[in-house]
Amino acid sequence: MTDLNDSELMTRVARGDEHAFLMLYDRHAARVHALTLRILSDPMLAEEATQDAFLKLWSRARLFMNERGSLLLWLLTIARRTALDRLRLEGRRPVLSDSNDPDDMWQTIPDLDSMPEEARWRSLHFAVQSLQPDHRQVIELAYYQGLSQSEIAEVLGWPLGTVKTRLRAAMEQLRQKWNEE
Amino acid sequence: MAQDEHSHFREQLSAYALGALDAEDVRALEEHLQTCDSCRAELSEYRAISDGLLTALPPRLPSAALRKRLQSQLPSAQKKTQPRFNWSFGKLVLGGALALLLLMNLFSFLQMRQIQNQQADLVQQIKTNQFALSMLAYPGTQAIPIAANNLSGSVLLDRERNTAALVMWHLPQLNQDQTYQAWLIEPDGHRVSAGTFRSQEDTSYTTQPVYPKQDLANFVGIGVTVEPAGGSDQPTGQRVFKVDF
Repeated sequence: MTDLNDSELMTRVARGDEHAFLMLYDRHAARVHALTLRILSDPMLAEEATQDAFLKLWSRARLFMNERGSLLLWLLTIARRTALDRLRLEGRRPVLSDSNDPDDMWQTIPDLDSMPEEARWRSLHFAVQSLQPDHRQVIELAYYQGLSQSEIAEVLGWPLGTVKTRLRAAMEQLRQKWNEE
Repeated sequence: MAQDEHSHFREQLSAYALGALDAEDVRALEEHLQTCDSCRAELSEYRAISDGLLTALPPRLPSAALRKRLQSQLPSAQKKTQPRFNWSFGKLVLGGALALLLLMNLFSFLQMRQIQNQQADLVQQIKTNQFALSMLAYPGTQAIPIAANNLSGSVLLDRERNTAALVMWHLPQLNQDQTYQAWLIEPDGHRVSAGTFRSQEDTSYTTQPVYPKQDLANFVGIGVTVEPAGGSDQPTGQRVFKVDF
């Protein structure tokens, strides 16, 4: 069964195949957990959100449509919403990730020919890291903390117009850098 | 469309792709996107970035315990924790034998109850007949003949001991939803119930004792009618006979 792709495994999960479900978990748990940990900044809460995300994958397997995107993207979208819901439930103040944490850093970009997808992800990671700090901050607060532009302005004490300008500039830089790859 | 308006919406695309556009601006932008090809194309590029941000994080393995917790919440694990009966062939046979034994016991019990009821009826019938015989043998008993169509017999009155008995020959069998009811008749014609009874199935005659709650001297006659099962407060059905004292 190890040679089955994600879509084939999901077909089996939709039929109640627990072995296929665990294979998908082994394949993607580390990515899901990285995302929930980035959002929640608490290992215990992050594990609970990761668990909830996989249980949703199990219960909603019939709803997955391969033609609308990869399973990993679908799963990570579920995990992001689950973690953001948990963040709101906990009512915690937004936390910016420590960009100096070596665990949160990739050091290299793999060969584009042998691992094209992985290389794309890492290049975006480096593009985000290369943003100037105030630009990176608005991207992280918006995407990994689920804040609107008005909420970011309130949290950072910036004028709303400044937040909008910096967010737009940051996204434009990412678009240009990513398209250069 | 005004160029200014288009520029205004275009500036919102990146925030919209990140889910950071304030709620009050979302609806207007979505309406604009329905008619603007260039904005839709630009939005898809920003969306690729926001999707990419989901994966642009170094993987972090959760604890090994999480996998076990997940496994324990899957349906098969939950089934294992529920107690289940393992019906082997031997247990099925044993269960069947026990059920059969129980059924036979129940049948025997019902049969015994039926015999006991029959026995009690018989004893009561013998006592009633003995009661009628003793009344007949008593010197003070008055025997008043019953004169009715297809029916004969006597009303035995023992005024000293304030008892009476009806001895009826060829009393017809009634349906299950009917009963015979005896009535003592007061001088003003008012009837007082003196009990219900059925005709005896295994003899040609039926004997029914009557134990009045009042002195027999207060009554001027006795009669029998057919009433619904359980009896009535006053006669409602067909009269079988009436005898004046």
